[in-house]
Amino acid sequence: MRLALGFGAGLAFWLAFSGPYDRVLAWSAETAIRTVESSAATLLAASAGEIRVDRADFPPASPRPGLAGGDLHFNFVMLCALFALNRHPLSPRPFGRFWIAAALLALTHVAALVFQVEALYATRLGPWSEAHYGAFARNFWAGGFHFYLIAGRFAAPFALWWWLERAGVEETGRRSGPRAGPVQPRRPRSRLRYR
Amino acid sequence: MRSEEEAVAARRRSVGFLARFAGLLVVLYVVVASHPVNDAVIVPFTAGIARAAGVVLNLFSENVSVEGTEIRSPVFAVNIENGCNGVETALLFGSAVLAFPASWKRRLAGLALGFGAIQVINLVRVVSLFWIGTHRPALFSASHTVLWQSAVVLCGVLLFLFWASREERRPARALAGNDTEER
Repeated sequence: MRLALGFGAGLAFWLAFSGPYDRVLAWSAETAIRTVESSAATLLAASAGEIRVDRADFPPASPRPGLAGGDLHFNFVMLCALFALNRHPLSPRPFGRFWIAAALLALTHVAALVFQVEALYATRLGPWSEAHYGAFARNFWAGGFHFYLIAGRFAAPFALWWWLERAGVEETGRRSGPRAGPVQPRRPRSRLRYR
Repeated sequence: MRSEEEAVAARRRSVGFLARFAGLLVVLYVVVASHPVNDAVIVPFTAGIARAAGVVLNLFSENVSVEGTEIRSPVFAVNIENGCNGVETALLFGSAVLAFPASWKRRLAGLALGFGAIQVINLVRVVSLFWIGTHRPALFSASHTVLWQSAVVLCGVLLFLFWASREERRPARALAGNDTEER
């Protein structure tokens, strides 16, 4: 029940703020890419759920590729659902941990968008790609983004939740689920009665 | 003092689990994404999912035909690709189960049951998405990207948590069983 409520709340929040978040994400990834580019040519602009990739050195008449922003960051909904498993998800400590996890998840979104743009440059621009990216670079960027699509975007919310929420609950001694490690076997209560 | 030590031990267990989980996820991803495994295992497996979904859809009189990984009807068609075949959830689930401290026998049992359950959930997803695409096409994109994808992965996480909580209680049950036998 808590999971479903968290999922619903996360979905509503994501739908409401997806547009502005796309713009922040585009600006962050653009800044990251331009800092390592020799000519700082990349321009990313978000509108209507799409992040448009432009470069200062693209021919003016050529079409600009668009990337679906939602595919990168809908895993925020999963994060909300997982943190809602806490008995008191809105009390200060779990809520604070949730926002720390959300901030770290946002960093993975920026990294994923950087990989996606670089993968596009490395594999989808024909002779331009071959001239500017070697075989290792093509595999690195394309493989990295494919890993995010298939495994990383689902693993990231789970890993952040496990690290921040489960570990936090264990440390405060309010554990209600599994923990990752061997446990000390407890003596069965019935033993006392047999004696 | 003791609680501080317990906190450090708990943190160490969590970090150890996550390190094993991340390492296994990368290894399993590399195996699954490699061309020979993709062509020999993943594509035929995905075609099997398409055939199973076709059988179920025809039970509901949807009049579909299946060719490879593609399901077609007179009004709608989908191609099941990587990311829609449940393998991504199975990777996540498999990495978590293998990273969790338990006996190999229990891990293999968990993997087999979890994989089966994930595939059943994914079959429901494929069938329902095809139905939505046919009868409510405006809802297809949101259902495909956000709702079902998140739901299937969350089901995988819940299956893991259920299995792991059972594994955690296992030593206590085993001890209780031994004590009873000794008497």
